Amino acid sequence: MDINDIIIVTDFNPLIFWILALLGIPLLSFFTATFLKKNAPLWASTLLFANLLVAIYLAIEYWGTQGVTIRGDWFGIGDTRFTYSFFIDQLALIMLLVVNFIALLVHFFSIEYMRHDAQKARYFGLLGLFTFSMLGIVLFNDLLFIFIFWELVGLSSYLLIGFWFEKKSASLAANKAFIMNRIGDLGFLTGLMILYAQFQTFDLEGIKSLTILSSIEDGNWIAEYFKNGELVRNSLDGRWLSAAGIALFCGAVGKSAQFPLQVWLPDAMEGPTPVSALIHAATMVAAGVFMIARIFVILDAQALEVIAVVGAITAFMAAVAALSQFDIKKVLAYSTISQLGYMVLAMGVGAYTAGLFHLVTHAMFKAGLFLSAGTIIHQLHQLETEETRFDTQDMRVMGGLRKFMPFTFFCFLICALALAGIPGFTGFLSKDAILLDTAVWIDEKGGGFYFIEVLAFATVLLTAFYTFRMIFLVFTGTFRLPNLVDKSVTLKPLKDGNIFLKLPAVLLAIGSFSLVFGLSFKAEDTWFYQVIQNPIFLVPEPYAAFNLIDIPLEYFEFLHARVVTISIILALAGLVTAFLMYRPGARFATSFPEKREPIGFFRQISFYHWYQNALYEKVILKFILMMSRWLAWFDEKVLDGFVNMIAKLQVVIAHLVAWFDKNIVDGFVHLTTYTTGKVGQMTRSIQSGNVQGYIMAAMAFLILMLIWLLF
Amino acid sequence: MIENLLTYIIFTPLVGALVVLLLPKSQSHLYRIVALVAMAVTLVLAIVAVTNFDTSVAGLTNSESQIQLTQKTEWFSIEMGDLGKFSVDYFVGVDGLNLSLLLLAAIVLFIGAISSWTVEHKKKGYFGLYLLLASSILGCFVALDFFLFYLFFEFMLLPMYFLIGIWGGPRREYAAIKFFLYTLVGSILILIVMIGLYNSVYDPFKTGVEAGIFEASVLPTEEMIIDVQQGVQNGAIDDADIVKSFNMISMADDANYLPYSILGRNSFGEIFGQSARWMAFLALLIGFAIKLPAFPFHTWLPDAHVEAPTPVSVVLAGILLKIGGYGIIRTAFSFFPDAAYHYSWLIGFFGLFSILYGAMNALAQKDLKKLIAYSSVSHMGFVLLGLAAMTVEGVTGAIYQMFSHGLISSMLFLIAGVIYDRTHDRGIENYGGLANQMPKYTVMVTIAFFASLGLPGFSGFIAELMVFIGAFKSYGVIGAIPYWMPIVATAGLVLGAGYYLWTLQRMFFGKFWVKDKAWKEHLTDLNLREYLMLVPLVVLILWFGIYPATLLDLIGNSVEGFTQLISESIQK
Repeated sequence: MDINDIIIVTDFNPLIFWILALLGIPLLSFFTATFLKKNAPLWASTLLFANLLVAIYLAIEYWGTQGVTIRGDWFGIGDTRFTYSFFIDQLALIMLLVVNFIALLVHFFSIEYMRHDAQKARYFGLLGLFTFSMLGIVLFNDLLFIFIFWELVGLSSYLLIGFWFEKKSASLAANKAFIMNRIGDLGFLTGLMILYAQFQTFDLEGIKSLTILSSIEDGNWIAEYFKNGELVRNSLDGRWLSAAGIALFCGAVGKSAQFPLQVWLPDAMEGPTPVSALIHAATMVAAGVFMIARIFVILDAQALEVIAVVGAITAFMAAVAALSQFDIKKVLAYSTISQLGYMVLAMGVGAYTAGLFHLVTHAMFKAGLFLSAGTIIHQLHQLETEETRFDTQDMRVMGGLRKFMPFTFFCFLICALALAGIPGFTGFLSKDAILLDTAVWIDEKGGGFYFIEVLAFATVLLTAFYTFRMIFLVFTGTFRLPNLVDKSVTLKPLKDGNIFLKLPAVLLAIGSFSLVFGLSFKAEDTWFYQVIQNPIFLVPEPYAAFNLIDIPLEYFEFLHARVVTISIILALAGLVTAFLMYRPGARFATSFPEKREPIGFFRQISFYHWYQNALYEKVILKFILMMSRWLAWFDEKVLDGFVNMIAKLQVVIAHLVAWFDKNIVDGFVHLTTYTTGKVGQMTRSIQSGNVQGYIMAAMAFLILMLIWLLF
Repeated sequence: MIENLLTYIIFTPLVGALVVLLLPKSQSHLYRIVALVAMAVTLVLAIVAVTNFDTSVAGLTNSESQIQLTQKTEWFSIEMGDLGKFSVDYFVGVDGLNLSLLLLAAIVLFIGAISSWTVEHKKKGYFGLYLLLASSILGCFVALDFFLFYLFFEFMLLPMYFLIGIWGGPRREYAAIKFFLYTLVGSILILIVMIGLYNSVYDPFKTGVEAGIFEASVLPTEEMIIDVQQGVQNGAIDDADIVKSFNMISMADDANYLPYSILGRNSFGEIFGQSARWMAFLALLIGFAIKLPAFPFHTWLPDAHVEAPTPVSVVLAGILLKIGGYGIIRTAFSFFPDAAYHYSWLIGFFGLFSILYGAMNALAQKDLKKLIAYSSVSHMGFVLLGLAAMTVEGVTGAIYQMFSHGLISSMLFLIAGVIYDRTHDRGIENYGGLANQMPKYTVMVTIAFFASLGLPGFSGFIAELMVFIGAFKSYGVIGAIPYWMPIVATAGLVLGAGYYLWTLQRMFFGKFWVKDKAWKEHLTDLNLREYLMLVPLVVLILWFGIYPATLLDLIGNSVEGFTQLISESIQK
């Protein structure tokens, strides 16, 4: 098969205008907000609304179709073509809706949230830039373009985390986010290199088609195809096939905050809370999972194992960390990492649909949680005056907020129930599906993989616990702030937010009811499962993993009852434990406000997230900085010192030569002239002009001659 | 007009220099205008050259017929009886290897002329030397006679030496002398090889004319040239008729080496028991690697950059370094592809090492200009890595990196100049929270930093991507460098993000703070002149990041020809 017959430039399709509109409108929003500044919130929100309409139109138009590709040439090198391609399939449509919907809500929410910020034009501009880049990832079906927009998403995330750049912690968090993402991107780039070496294209359709045609011979991964009529035969060691998948997955490890790069996400909470809702909960962090979905079929068994293990570890580690945080956004951040871990685990066990389903449900309820938390933070911020400053994100100042903010409480509660996996809410459906597929996969796989199941189920318990701990601490009991601030200050009354804050939260809360996806309590019965199906792996034997589809449905049925029962019991256990510990008046709830640093090994492990930050900052970063200083010293003193020494040596030699020249060479000349002079002087002294002297000398000479002759 | 275009490009700045010299002191305000006009004309001519370049011409880099806009006239020749004839040509022309760099030079020199606007001290000398420098740089890029090339190459040192030594910072004399001597060492190595090459290479066309095979007026065909080459190989042509030549295009063809000459492909000449070709290759490589600069020959660079005035830094980083890369492509790799292949592992390794070493050093710097200087070392490492790969993608990436780095590093040094102009201090630690005071400047710095750390959308990304995929592909296609090299090299991207973001955070974010309170009033945002320099660069960097075809179409054929010649040569 000729590669140029796979990556063909498609005929003109009016769809391109809609795609360009989807990308262009947010970009326009970026430019208008950045350059016009005036009325930026209004413009940006209106434009985003228009974009959502485009997305809805496309969804109606293309729902249920096979997928449409639009491809064109970008540039060429030698006989290799670099193309771009858009792909509108069911997954892209769903992502377009989710991203645009949540982006619009966040814009709307931000109108109030950022009302008093002097730099809000910049803020809305950056939201536009982010939406543009995120939609790029969704729309392109070319790994190189996904990578390009991937990095641009990283840029907008960097700029938004560091939005309040006067805060040192914010700019440090922004750096951390960008660099951690970059580390993951090195893997992505390596994956691109491997695939390019083999297939000479980044087009996913091309890569997939050629992967089917490739084969494993004698442990070598052979790709044979025609290119411009000539046979190409590329061969790499078979391990590069697994390596390609794992390398690309590294990109997702960075972007979707997986172990070991997840440390940037809690810090990213330095950004404005709506940004956390949009970027660091619903969309950007999910881009990693989306990317795995795009390359899913070219992943081999080994890469999938790595993905599953990383996902399970991440889910568990982050859930543990969420147990003991004081900062409400930190709890949500760790919870996000943990849920992303579930999605990645799902991808790893081949549960493509379940993973994407969780991506969508999580996007809704987590954005809802973040926006509700944002409402609380925003309203608490209104209480701040010059004299009273407190941390508006700290749960220690909260408590009993249900009375003051009943609306927010209900929104938060609904989303929290979804997060905890309580039946009737979306999170239950999708998490259940992941747990079921994981259980099936592990039964098939056997061996040492049972720990994945243990971690996945343990996380259910932990999730329910930290979710309800948060609810009890924030919404029940008494409002703790008045006791913490100066008694002489009278605080303004705390109340619910206005329509700008309420509407997005309530819409997302509605989206967290499982009714949205169907009446059944089984994920397989939802409309999502009707439109998104598990694809078949394309990797050649013996590297291919088994497909979940190949496992008889009865087996799923058989396991389902067990998995559901266990997960509901665990979720309820978590809920009950949280109730016992943090209900109003319980021991932990009353002692909570005084808590400072957690005591005890396990609590510290949780609070400091397994000391991963400490390891990175105190060991690795320190080592790199030490190395860099040492190398700078080496460069200056040794390498340049060597150059300077040669220069000095040259000068010394020059002086020696000069001395030699002056004293020896020239000295010899001087000696000659001196001797000549001296001899001349001596002889001259004889020629004194004294005639008597001459006669004397002549006589003496004569006598000496006579003596010599005679004897 | 078109026939003489390259000559006009070379000599326009020189004419400008003459005008500056002739203008009396009382008209000193005109010097900078003359310089600007001269560079603007040069830029226009360079653009005309690009538009007149035929991208459909195949690009075998050893065939004179595939060089465009050529001008070739005999400069001087000496009859040497039985030893044949010694001939030096005024031979200029462009192909895909140097056209992009010619354009780059014209752009950067023009921007440098704007940047020189504020020079007040000894203006006549400054602008005279600047224009002289411009001429020799442009000449160096288009000269295709090694003698002429070397002349331009050496002649650059003189104005550069004075520009750093007179208009530079506090340690200018040390820096100027170091720059001069260091580069001179490289030049000597190049000179030695040049002499060796002259002894080994003849010009087949002129030899044919001399031997009476054809008339000087005819246009030689491939067959006629091959006729002559065979005649020389089998001794049918008398030694006295052989015209020895410095023609760099002839040198790139093994058939143009005299039988039994020291550097001939099949004569197995040896020096100290080593293959003479390998030694010659190494000498050329080191000679140009000093200019590039690659580890461990880079230590002149930080000093020269730190001491040089802003426009000279811009020219130094923007163009001068590229002569190193260009020299390696045009001479070392073209003349001795077999030796290049033999040493490809080593070249790749030094490229890789430069990437990481430069980045690590940049991380430790406290002076903004030094940081940028070391980042140049890191980025030039990609040029070596891409060349060592010997694949189309790798070589394309190397050339693209030179072009892109020329634009980006110009911008970086202009940015360093902005702050230095205001406070005369470049210490990273002496500033904080500049974003509050100079928001527009901060935007420019952010753009430049992200462009330099290889963010997609900017030209640097395309270059680095090409180098990476070309280098990884290399082992499977041609077996030049191992798989791990590009993979390890990606670490340079993280370190790059590290030092740039750290600098941004320390200098621009946080609360406004400067070491000396008096600076605050000087720290005004960008002025019009600065916008005029920075905005076009931003536009170009974005343009070449989004539409790489603009440049790739120009260089594509030649790069393909170049790599094809290499792979043919190593299979011999």
